Amino acid sequence: MESILFLACVEADGSLAKAAREALSAAKNLAAGLGGAPLVVGLIGAEVQSAANALAACGAARFLGVAGAEFAPSRYTTDTAAATALAKAAGATIVVAPASSRTNRCLAGAAQRLGGRVDSHATSIAAAADGKISLTRWYYRQRMEGVLTRTARPWVVLLESGCAPAYAGVPGTTTVEAVAVELPALRTTVTGVRAPASDAQTIRPDAKLLFVAGAGWTKKQADGQVHATEAEQLILGFLASAKASLGSTKSLVDLSGEGQAVLKFMSHLNQVGQTGSTPRHPKGLATCCHGEEPHTVGWRFINERRAINLNAACSWAQGKADVLYVADAFDVMRKVNALLSSG
Amino acid sequence: MPSVFHIVVCGSIVPDPLQTLEPITTPTGPALKNELMLPAVLDPWAWHALFEAANLAKNNPGSKVWLVALGPKAKLQQVMMSVAQKAPFELVVIDGPASGFTESAEVASELAAAITSIAGLDKTKLLLFGGWESASRGAGTTLPMVGERLGITDQFQGVDQISVQPDGSFEVLERIEGGKHQVSTCAGAPALLGWATGNLPEPPNNPQVGMANMRTLMPALQKAKPAKVTNTGLAYASVALPKQRRETRIVKDMPADEIAQEIVAWIRAD
Amino acid sequence: MTQDSVSESPVVDRQSMAVDIVCVGFGPATAGFLTALSKKLVNPDGTPIAESAAMPGMPPQVIAYERADDVGFGVSGVVTPARSIKAAFPGLDPAQIPMAAPVKTEKVAYLLDPVGASRRSLALRTADGVLKLFKGKHHAIELPWIPPFLAKHDGLVLSMGQFMQWVGGQVMGSGTVQVWPSMPVAGALVEDNKVVGIRLVDQGVEKNGAATGAFMPGMDIRAALTVIGDGPVGAVGQQLDRELGLPKDHHVHDWAVGMKFVIDLPESCTLEPGTVLHTFGYPEPEIFGFLYVHPGRIASLGIFVPSWFDSPVRTAYRYLQHWMLHPWIWRHIEGGTLRSWGAKTLQESGRRGEPHLVGDGFARIGEGSGSTNVLTGSGVDEAWATGTLLAEAVTELLKQGKPFTRENLESTYVARRRASWVDAEGRVAERARDGFQRGVVTGLIGMGLAGLTGGRLRAPGKPMPPHKRLPTIEAFYRGRISAEEIAKIRAECLAKGTPLHLALMDRAGWPAIPLDGKLLVSHQDALLMGGKVQAPGGYADHVVFPFPAICATCDQRTCVEVCSGQAIAHGPDGVPVFDREKCIHCGACLWNCARERPDGSGRTVLEFRAGSGGLHSAEN
Repeated sequence: MESILFLACVEADGSLAKAAREALSAAKNLAAGLGGAPLVVGLIGAEVQSAANALAACGAARFLGVAGAEFAPSRYTTDTAAATALAKAAGATIVVAPASSRTNRCLAGAAQRLGGRVDSHATSIAAAADGKISLTRWYYRQRMEGVLTRTARPWVVLLESGCAPAYAGVPGTTTVEAVAVELPALRTTVTGVRAPASDAQTIRPDAKLLFVAGAGWTKKQADGQVHATEAEQLILGFLASAKASLGSTKSLVDLSGEGQAVLKFMSHLNQVGQTGSTPRHPKGLATCCHGEEPHTVGWRFINERRAINLNAACSWAQGKADVLYVADAFDVMRKVNALLSSG
Repeated sequence: MPSVFHIVVCGSIVPDPLQTLEPITTPTGPALKNELMLPAVLDPWAWHALFEAANLAKNNPGSKVWLVALGPKAKLQQVMMSVAQKAPFELVVIDGPASGFTESAEVASELAAAITSIAGLDKTKLLLFGGWESASRGAGTTLPMVGERLGITDQFQGVDQISVQPDGSFEVLERIEGGKHQVSTCAGAPALLGWATGNLPEPPNNPQVGMANMRTLMPALQKAKPAKVTNTGLAYASVALPKQRRETRIVKDMPADEIAQEIVAWIRAD
Repeated sequence: MTQDSVSESPVVDRQSMAVDIVCVGFGPATAGFLTALSKKLVNPDGTPIAESAAMPGMPPQVIAYERADDVGFGVSGVVTPARSIKAAFPGLDPAQIPMAAPVKTEKVAYLLDPVGASRRSLALRTADGVLKLFKGKHHAIELPWIPPFLAKHDGLVLSMGQFMQWVGGQVMGSGTVQVWPSMPVAGALVEDNKVVGIRLVDQGVEKNGAATGAFMPGMDIRAALTVIGDGPVGAVGQQLDRELGLPKDHHVHDWAVGMKFVIDLPESCTLEPGTVLHTFGYPEPEIFGFLYVHPGRIASLGIFVPSWFDSPVRTAYRYLQHWMLHPWIWRHIEGGTLRSWGAKTLQESGRRGEPHLVGDGFARIGEGSGSTNVLTGSGVDEAWATGTLLAEAVTELLKQGKPFTRENLESTYVARRRASWVDAEGRVAERARDGFQRGVVTGLIGMGLAGLTGGRLRAPGKPMPPHKRLPTIEAFYRGRISAEEIAKIRAECLAKGTPLHLALMDRAGWPAIPLDGKLLVSHQDALLMGGKVQAPGGYADHVVFPFPAICATCDQRTCVEVCSGQAIAHGPDGVPVFDREKCIHCGACLWNCARERPDGSGRTVLEFRAGSGGLHSAEN
């Protein structure tokens, strides 16, 4: 009989992120699929009671918590010790956790300590009628999708956001069993978060739209000139008025290293695709790109995709974008910005 | 007084980025079609980790860099001829698959054993580097497990910067959600850093570095031990390319004004 | 020392390194050289045959620098007799080399024009009319017999990329030689008329060569012997040809652009591995085609566009697509999928293009040394053989402790070369294609005569350099497209910055290519999906236009039309612009420039230097 632990780190305000509530739905669904396998909730944070209360109606057999000031920050030493202790206390054979920078960092190490196995970036985990559990994840930078099963336990699973509906049960009151964790001397101190100035903040994970800029923005245009300044204004203007997140192709980001006409606000953090991120947004608009990066790799988890490209025969956009506008992105984005700013 | 670090970079090879990849099923599990024919490169994030390691070693005299790779020997040999011109390092090779479909826990076990057997490696000076994910498995699970096996409990992932202080402690910037960085300080080695892109440009090819590396490259390849990677307990039901091919509507000869209107309407629609 | 092809950047901390033998380029010639040499550098008892002069106490230090980003990124549409390769690897099992297959079936076909757009002479049109009476199946007449000089039986079908990857592994595995990719060689170091090594290209520079913060001047690699195997458009070969001139009556006026696809054949295709198909006659009479079948339902196919095809609008890509669509070919490949794409240019003057093979401190091998046999259409085998001959010579000199002087290299390498089958067969081939200067029919007759009489008979013809033979676009299309219409097309294309060839070919009656995104893809998609073309940053542009005023007045701009990667485009002020990220280093622009420099050197106004990046496919 499997025993499932839903594991999550509590936010600074004591709440659970949407991704965590999604992973809880997946864990509940898995437990149900296994004919009612016991589900345990395990929480880590400075204070976990209010988050546990929010999940009171989720049907968990037990609520376990590792709490205290040491467990407030996202830190490998403390998080790995806490996750290991929770999994042991729950007697878990399967651990389902939401993927985040915090859990991604600590749960492979926890799996090692538990003598188990781990799968990160899972897009689904579910039980078939025969009780066999299948996990889906992508390989080779989102190029191919694999479905796998494991016999080793415990099996730690990090579920990507956007792959299950968020749990939305009625809050209540529940008792959290505190799990003791023995910590070594701490050698790492989290001192804070460094964020770009708000006007340079171009990455917005919750935005509805991902705007992908390709190297074409910094190339010579029809008049034989480079218009990097206008490109910057057009892109920043669009991001501001459409509240979009900015992704870029590798070639555009790399140009910054060559001392060429570049978009100053662009950094490697913006890169999508190979050695970049694979963000999830409902919509994506790609401009001045011609290549596999935006259309295959970086776009894998964008639902609706449109592209503006001068090449009608672009085989990378065809079959991968819903709409391909054969046009000059400078012209179109000038007009788009005008329309957006006029309300 | 600069610190002395023993920096071990874990990294292997992946297909050159623009190659068309197709999965096939073999008796030992999934693999890439024509895998050994595809040109390969050092895994991009491990590549960055190697640059950072070389830079750190250069700025902290007495430090040393090892590159530990589990991959098919012949392919590694070829890729090393590009890699070895970039940064000085000593190579340690384990001959085995560089496939994304291998079990990360088993790979971690092999890498940890290889690192443990490096002569002259001082674990109190150890900085374990690698990419925060590979471009093959794309999991980010191998390196933390290597760290655990080596007893390293200060681990950082998605690292873009390390700043070493005179006392050997260092500040680390890790990528977190929303294009931000978490800032931490660590008392010093031993520690593990899974690198994202970092800020260093790719170093130029340096023939002298290549010549110096050559003295250890070929012997390392010749004495490479075979890896025991069996994917025990792991079975793939399927590996497939996404089937969905979108019906792309191609809009030609539409004035920019109309395209803009259509795009704005699309953005505003729920 | 001449500075025009080596770095002109300020000399800041330029480093220098000494080795014994440095090789420029890792193609089949250098591979043959290193394969043979690596086996000879060590005595049977494990001791080196000589001590390194550069690193006393060590065995001779032998290094090769290859421009491309990997040793497997070379291009050739290879079917080869493989005599020299088989000799180097006794008992060679082709199954060891991915994509290799022994030649099984050979066919040669004359392709008729099924679309009516081909530019055929009256003689050819008459001949076509007669041939059509024989109802050639699929608009083609298969030759009942393959002339022995063209036959490749007992040979191998290879992928140059896979073969070079395999050989690279073999020679590196020996531990006695080193092959470093992604390292272009800017030029030879020449002191007192001796070649004393090479200079690598500068890194950390802008596209115009200006130093950036990461500037690293190209290192000097000093060596007792420089082996030049950098092919027909290599920077070092070009430099030596300029400085030393060519031997009397030698020239390199003949060349061709070879462009190829590697494809997955459709399930329905019944062609066996080892099948070799050659065509002539279509899409233009001057264009030759090939299709070679590898194991695993893979084929290499492509065309050669030769120098004697006098169109100034000589786009190989569009012609390749029309050739693929010819019914005799299309029936085999319809439904296939593009795997790879690439192009290279070939020195087709053969032995008559042979430069000074040796001098103090240097020796030349391979295609750039005039080894290609233009009668049999064979180059890889010959190139490899020249490398093997040099390895024997070098071993002899090393063992005797003799220096690499002109005299010593003459008496060892050149003497071996003159006594070799490469030279003997090259002499037979030397003038075999001269007839093509007068027309395709004359050329074919001449080739047949030369082939069947051992070179004693041939058709006459005088090869000319491109800038002396390329007609204007108006002259080429006279009678088909009016000058006024050409002017209109030119203006439209210049405004858009696009080449003229698509519009001109459309107008000349060539049907549109039915792009399917799979096998028939746009030119740019061929670069990305097929060639995987990339260029690392930090290197200067390697195609430059040092005489912009002359370019601005050129109305042919064959460099734009011929560019295999669409990397050269019309610039705003009439001077072409170069996009390094699309260049595949085929060198077609160098051969095709139609304007001469005013300095009387005979050189044209386009410079093709050493550069990095290019194809990233290992299947070509």
